Amino acid sequence: MELAGLSTDQAPPISAPVRFFLTAPLFGILAGFLILFSDANTLMNRYSIESIVITHAITIGFLSFIMLGSMTQMLPVLAGAKMPKVELVTKSSYFLLVIGVISMLFGLYTSDTLFNIIAFIGLGGGFLIILTATALSLKTVVNFNATVRGISTSMVFAFLIVFMGLYLLYSYIINDIDSTHMVVANVHSVWAVFGFAVILIIGVTFQVLPMFYVAPKFKAFCKKRVVWLISIGLIIWLILSAYFEEYTLFGKLWIAMFVWAFATTVWLKLSKRRRPISDVTVWYWRSASIFLTLGSFLWIFDEYFKHEYIVMVAILIGGFILSIIIGMLYKIVPFLVWFHLNGMGYMSIPTINEMINKRVAQIQFVLFIASLIGFIFSFYMPNLLQVSAISFIISMILLEYNVIAPVLVYMKTKKTKPDFDMSMFEAPKE
Amino acid sequence: MSTIKEFLSADHSKCDEIFAKMEEKAGESLASARELCEEFKNETEKHFQMEERVMFLEFENKTGMTQGPTAMMRQEHTQMRALMAQMLEAIDADNKDRFFGLSETLMILLQQHNMKEEQMLYPMAQQHLAADSDRIVDMMESLIVE
Repeated sequence: MELAGLSTDQAPPISAPVRFFLTAPLFGILAGFLILFSDANTLMNRYSIESIVITHAITIGFLSFIMLGSMTQMLPVLAGAKMPKVELVTKSSYFLLVIGVISMLFGLYTSDTLFNIIAFIGLGGGFLIILTATALSLKTVVNFNATVRGISTSMVFAFLIVFMGLYLLYSYIINDIDSTHMVVANVHSVWAVFGFAVILIIGVTFQVLPMFYVAPKFKAFCKKRVVWLISIGLIIWLILSAYFEEYTLFGKLWIAMFVWAFATTVWLKLSKRRRPISDVTVWYWRSASIFLTLGSFLWIFDEYFKHEYIVMVAILIGGFILSIIIGMLYKIVPFLVWFHLNGMGYMSIPTINEMINKRVAQIQFVLFIASLIGFIFSFYMPNLLQVSAISFIISMILLEYNVIAPVLVYMKTKKTKPDFDMSMFEAPKE
Repeated sequence: MSTIKEFLSADHSKCDEIFAKMEEKAGESLASARELCEEFKNETEKHFQMEERVMFLEFENKTGMTQGPTAMMRQEHTQMRALMAQMLEAIDADNKDRFFGLSETLMILLQQHNMKEEQMLYPMAQQHLAADSDRIVDMMESLIVE
């Protein structure tokens, strides 16, 4: 059995996830500015270049950075699996992904083949390196519980959506956007949201919600079956959309039903949690649960409208996935700083609540949710788009501030060495 | 009789419950939470000693691994002991912000610690110590806290 996760010297260095966490809100800010200079009409159409560019600034630049960054830290704890060569993997994939995503945004906007080629290499290389490393570390897991099953399943979808994404990018490079491109684009987006993100979040939620909020544990049926049922639904949906297009609604209903059941379960578990604390992370769990419920219903109705792309993205990607991830970030960053400093022997470190400015986090939450609601209604009132974009940008700046603050505490403590004391870790004298 | 894994995992849940009650009381007033905070500290201390003085020793003797997972777990116990002592100081000083800052830090430290034990160390211990499982659980149950 792999025990690396239990040993201090082999725990991944704090820089491995933190460089992803510090960069993600910057892509959020960038996405906000891109929205600010777009118009609502263009963003209704999912195939407009603006829509594609903005969506990927958020999904690659923000979501995948935080999700994959936290894997380096979570796998040792949740599954006892250590990522091989974690420093090399995170540094090289980070570098490639940053170059890749910026080139893609620029390349698609300006139809520049060279930038699209750089994007193809950067994103392909970056994703394959970190996903392969994650998959290799999952292979060593012996105790295969519901969380590890969820993470592993989402990794399979991650590989598939990366390959599909590369194919899509390739067709921009050779300038050949045919009907296959549209089909692949559809599968790519649905599998990215429901296959990768939703399944990953479900897997992690099984563990995190009962533990950090002392909420009731998830039922065995839920833990054993939900991930499989959604995965089967996604495959059924794929077959239907390829061969029996008029019946795709049934595939969607299947997926949406289980996703909605999960969203409701999260809400109920939170209501029954034994810890009374209601901080901004609990607000984020709540908002995620509401938006996921809305999103799964809207996705069904979308079958009949198909022209409200910005509404779908705001609800499913913004309201559900981003909510969960930002909430998680507020816990994970200050804890990592505290844990690493304390492990080095520093005693009088600020507690994790003192590292994050609570007031700023609350304002960040309000602005973020307000911006999502604004994006949703900009479908009816296009003028709302700009003010919502500004609200989104400010919320991302505040988030960046709250990620930087604990990192500064870390750097300052290491530099000034206030009370270095290793005596507490010495073996007790018999 | 429960296995080592079941016995110690159930004890984690028991401590979590006291922790939740303590925080609820502390929300009303810190002074009223003192008793529960003491109870939590004592129960957690008992859990640590059941591991450090019984199970870890058995595990280390059987596997020969003294610098491996048990060393890391002992270190985290030390970190948690310090935090629990600071929480009682915060109650004495009637400093709510400090108290909840410490309790949140302890909660995350504790939970990731429990995850590592329940996911890795306990299954491993159960595997190596299966033959002596009943005797070890008995010894842990009858342990008197030092």
